[in-house]
This record gives sequence, structure tokens and C-alpha cells, in this order.
Amino acid sequence: MKPIRILLADDHNILRDGLRLLLERQEGFEVVAEASDGREAVRLAQQHCPDVAIIDVAMPGLNGIEATRCIKETCDTTAIIILSMHHDESYILRALRAGARGYLLKDSLKADLLTAVRAVVQGQSHFSAKVSQLLQEDYFRELTDKQKEDSFELLTTREREILQLVAEGKSNKEIANLLHLSLYTVDTHRSRILHKLNLHSVPELILYAVRKGIIH
Amino acid sequence: MQRQPWLALVSGFGGLLLLMAVAEIGGLLVVNRLRVDEAQLHQRFLERSRILETIRSSIYLSGTVTRDFLLAPEGGAHAQLADLNSLRNKTDAALREYGKSLETEESAPFASLKSEIEAYWKVLGGIFAWSTEERDKYRYQFFYSELIPRRTSMLQIADRVGQLNEQTLQRGDQRLAGLVGRFQFGLLAMTCVTLLGGTALAIYASYLIIRLQGEARLRLTESVAARASLQELSAKLLRAQEEERRALSRELHDEAGQSFSAIMLEAENLLDLNHNSGLVPRLESIRNLAERGVTETRNMALLLRPSMLDDFGLVPALNWQAKETAKRTGLRVQVLAPDMQHELPEEHKTCIYRVVQEALNNVARHAQASAVQISLQQHSGELQLSIQDDGTGFDSQRVRGLGLLGMEERARHLGGTFAVDSQAGRGTLLKINLPLVELSKNGSS
Repeated sequence: MKPIRILLADDHNILRDGLRLLLERQEGFEVVAEASDGREAVRLAQQHCPDVAIIDVAMPGLNGIEATRCIKETCDTTAIIILSMHHDESYILRALRAGARGYLLKDSLKADLLTAVRAVVQGQSHFSAKVSQLLQEDYFRELTDKQKEDSFELLTTREREILQLVAEGKSNKEIANLLHLSLYTVDTHRSRILHKLNLHSVPELILYAVRKGIIH
Repeated sequence: MQRQPWLALVSGFGGLLLLMAVAEIGGLLVVNRLRVDEAQLHQRFLERSRILETIRSSIYLSGTVTRDFLLAPEGGAHAQLADLNSLRNKTDAALREYGKSLETEESAPFASLKSEIEAYWKVLGGIFAWSTEERDKYRYQFFYSELIPRRTSMLQIADRVGQLNEQTLQRGDQRLAGLVGRFQFGLLAMTCVTLLGGTALAIYASYLIIRLQGEARLRLTESVAARASLQELSAKLLRAQEEERRALSRELHDEAGQSFSAIMLEAENLLDLNHNSGLVPRLESIRNLAERGVTETRNMALLLRPSMLDDFGLVPALNWQAKETAKRTGLRVQVLAPDMQHELPEEHKTCIYRVVQEALNNVARHAQASAVQISLQQHSGELQLSIQDDGTGFDSQRVRGLGLLGMEERARHLGGTFAVDSQAGRGTLLKINLPLVELSKNGSS
């Protein structure tokens, strides 16, 4: 099997070394490039077009989120995992909007990193367990605070099914094949889901799915 | 003089008033005395003229009576004698009265007048003893060579006395005129002194007032400048504090936090390599400590200054702050804020963020509220922030804590306004408006 080619970008050398050590000990993982700031990461990603880029959110020059956006523009096949100290929604949503599919907290790297790399390579999203947990807690508290009905209750079983598949990173075509539906029907369902949940984009939908505990 | 201008002013004005009062009272007294003196003088003159007139007319009459006696037929002498005696008594009385108040230069003519009259009476007394023949014989001779000359001489003396009386009147008038002149001069002098003193005093007082005004203006300028520099200083302090917090937060996050992460990762790697050795518990302990280190430095960094504020802007930072407060205190915190069209200037972002932070702290600590609503709007070049809670409220007219003062100060630095609307039992509404003139300029460029 071809190894998974990985780009590492972190301005902290020791941390980067640790990460490389951790990854290279695994069968089928290969670190093809290392960058110590955002611009270098973008340049190296263009050069190597890796399968996965693991990018620290806080880097000098160009921050991780902007770097993610640039990498996705030039090399769409690269799946991106953001490393961050923050578990705040604003960071996660922006990372997702920029095109990242994994979001890992630095205080639980070991447990999540390998799983995350494998998940994003398959086109799925992955978040640190702690992130998922915190986001779900927030979601429940908000529901209780505002004493609103859970909008998830508005969705039909088919819509919930499709929501999960979209959040997992499946394309419309894949979903249509899986559920034996027409492409048009899947598209209609997607729009209705976004409308019912008052969401505006796939990243928001992914975040919602995490908050709801539909995906992890 | 320099040190106690009030003393100079009081004594100056007092002296001036006293001078004027003295001049006025003195003037009134002098005028009154002049009037009385003049009346007395004229009274006396008239009185004496009347007495002299009496003497003159008596002497005339005595001549007439004597002639009547000389020409009268036999035996009619008694009536004339009685007339003559009465005239003599009248004259004597008049002489006595006139003699009571004699001027020095009058005494000699008056004495000769008196002796002339005495002699005249004696001569007249003599003729009543005459026999009829003697009377017929000497009648004309006596009349023309004795009576007429004596009478004429007496009348001349009386005229002289009258002239002297007139002179006395004139002298008196002259004396009075002199008095009036002196009084006028005195009055003029007094007026001049008063005018000069008043002018000097007015100049001095004006000088004092102008100097005081200048000093007051100077003080005002100084205090305005001092207040401005104080405000500038406090703005600088706030900026420096914020800068410090930002730097510390970054340092904690980027350096300390990353180092803890690296330690954690190293420990993980060692754990992988040594999963059967006795080092495992120590390595696990290291990993756990490092993990706690990551969490704590992150929390500290966020507490100092949330990185979202610099990374994504004000609204995400407010949302984060609201969520944290809700988590920490159980308050329901709602943020109503559309995404800003332009990213706000640094100072505005910081101001709003810090004000909201302080307000949420206050609500959590004092208000016993259950919900807070934060609303941020951009309206025609103005940023409007309102923070409303449903707590116990307070008397905003009287209570002004340091926190509220700090918020007001922050708003004022940016040319904004700050208002608290609160009453016991009715919650609290904080309102802050910040002008965004700079922003629209930056936005269009």
C-alpha cells in the first residue's frame, strides 16, 4: 500500500520533531515535508501536494487557517488537520470554512492524531474527543438556556441520515449511490436540512453535527 | 499692599466714603451757620437803625414841642413840658438800648452823641423856667442860635452813628462773604481730593481685578491642560496594559503552551517505546502534568486577552466571553451582534470587549440576575453597545463603582458616551456609543 504522505507545519521545532517521531513510527505514514511558518507550508504543499497537511493554527507570517485556505486552493486533494490550543467554536468553524477536515487539540494529540490522519484521508471529518464533548455540552446548555425546541427534531429520518453522511464528508454523488436516490433528491434534502437548521454552509453543518454528537 | 489687597481696598473705599460724609455734614453745618449769621447781622442792623430813627425823630419832635412852647400863648407850658419829658424818656431808653451793643469804633461818637443830648435836654429844661417876658425876649434868639445848631449837631452825630452801623453791616457781610469763599474753596479742595482718591482707588481696583482675571484664566488653562494630560496618561496606561496583556497572552500561548505540548508529545513517544518498563508511571505522570500545563496556559492566555479578538475580531470574542460567563456562572448570556462590515479599529475592539467583560463580571458578582443581553450595532458612523440584565439593579445616581468609572473612562477616550440606567429592582441597562469617524475614513481608503 502506498504510504500516506504528510506535511507538518508548526513553528515550534520540538513539537514538530515529536509529531514526526510519532507519525513515522507508524506503518504507512511518511512525513514528506516540514514547515516552520505558514508561507513555507503553502510553498511546500504546492511542491509536494501531500495527502495530509497537519498545520498549527498559530504560526508567524501566515496563520494556520489562512495557510489552509491557500493550500486548498492550489492542491484540493490535500486533507488538512488543524492543530490548536483552542476549543472555541469560532476557531473550529473558521478552520472548517477554510477547508480543514480535522481539528485537534494540543492537549490530546497522541490519542487523536493517528485516527484523525486516517479519517481525513478517507474524506471524513475528525475532531478531538474533547472538542466534541465541549461542543455538545455547549449545545445542550444553549438549548436549555433559550428553552427552544431542538431543531434536530424537525428533521425527518431520511434527512438525519443525509445530514450524517454530509457531515462525514461524503459527496452528493456518494450519498446518492449509498441511499439509492437521485442526485437531485439528495441536493433537495441538503437544502432543506440547511434551511430547517438555519445553517448556511457545509462547514456550519459539520460543526452542527459535532455539536449534536452525530459525528466525532 | 501686594499681599493684602483687600485691606487696601477696604481702607480706601472706607476712607473715601468717610471723607464724603464729613464733607457733606461739614458743608451743611457751614451753610446753616452762614444763614443764621446773616439773619442775625441784618436783624441787628435793622434794630439799631430803628433805634437811631427813634432818637432822631424824638429830637425832631422835641424841637417842634419847644417851638410850640416858645410860640404858645400864656400858660400852656405844662402840656409841652409833659411831651418833652416823655420824649426825653424815650430817647434815654433808646440810648440805653443802643449802648448795650456798641462796636469799638462807635463808642466815641456815641459818647459825644450822648453828652450832646444830655446837654440839649439841660438847655431845654432851662427855658421852661423862663417868665413870659424872657420867653418873648429870647424866643427867636434861643430858637435859632441855640436849639437849631444843637439839634443839627446831634442829628449829624446820629447820622455818623448810623453810618457806622451801616459800616458794621457791610463788614459783617464782607466777613460772611469771606466765609462763603473759604467754604467754597474747602468744598472744591475736598471734591478734588475725593475725585483723585476715587480715581486712584478705581485704578487700583481695576488693576487687581484684571490681575485676578489673568490668574484665574491661567489656573483654568493649567487645570484644563492637567486634566487633558491626565486623560492622555490614563489612555496611554490602558493601551500599555492592553499591549502587555496581548504580549503575555501570546507568549503564554505560543511559547509556554507549545513547550508543554512538546513535553507531552515526547512523553507519549517515550511511553510508546517503553511500554513494558518501570518508567511508565513516571512517564504517564509527566504526560499528565504537561497536559495540565497546556490547559492552564491556554486558560491564562485567554483570560489575559482572548486570541479570537486579534485572530477573528470582536464578535467571536464576545461570543466566547458570553459562553465562558454562562459556563462559569450559570447566567444566560445572549449576544446580538451582526458581523461587522469592516473590522473595527483596534482601540474600539478592545474598548467594547473590556467593557462587556467588566459588565458581565459586575452582573455575575452583584446583580443576582438570571439573564443578560448584549447588543452591538453599527448605526450611521456610530457603534452602539447596550448591556441589559434582569437583576436587582442599583441607584445609578449615587453608586458609581470603580468598574463603571473604568468603563466610562474607556468610552471617553474614544470620544464616546457612557450611560447607566438602573433602579433598585428593575435591572440595569448600560449604554455606550462610540463614534466611528476614523473607521469610515479607513474603510473608504
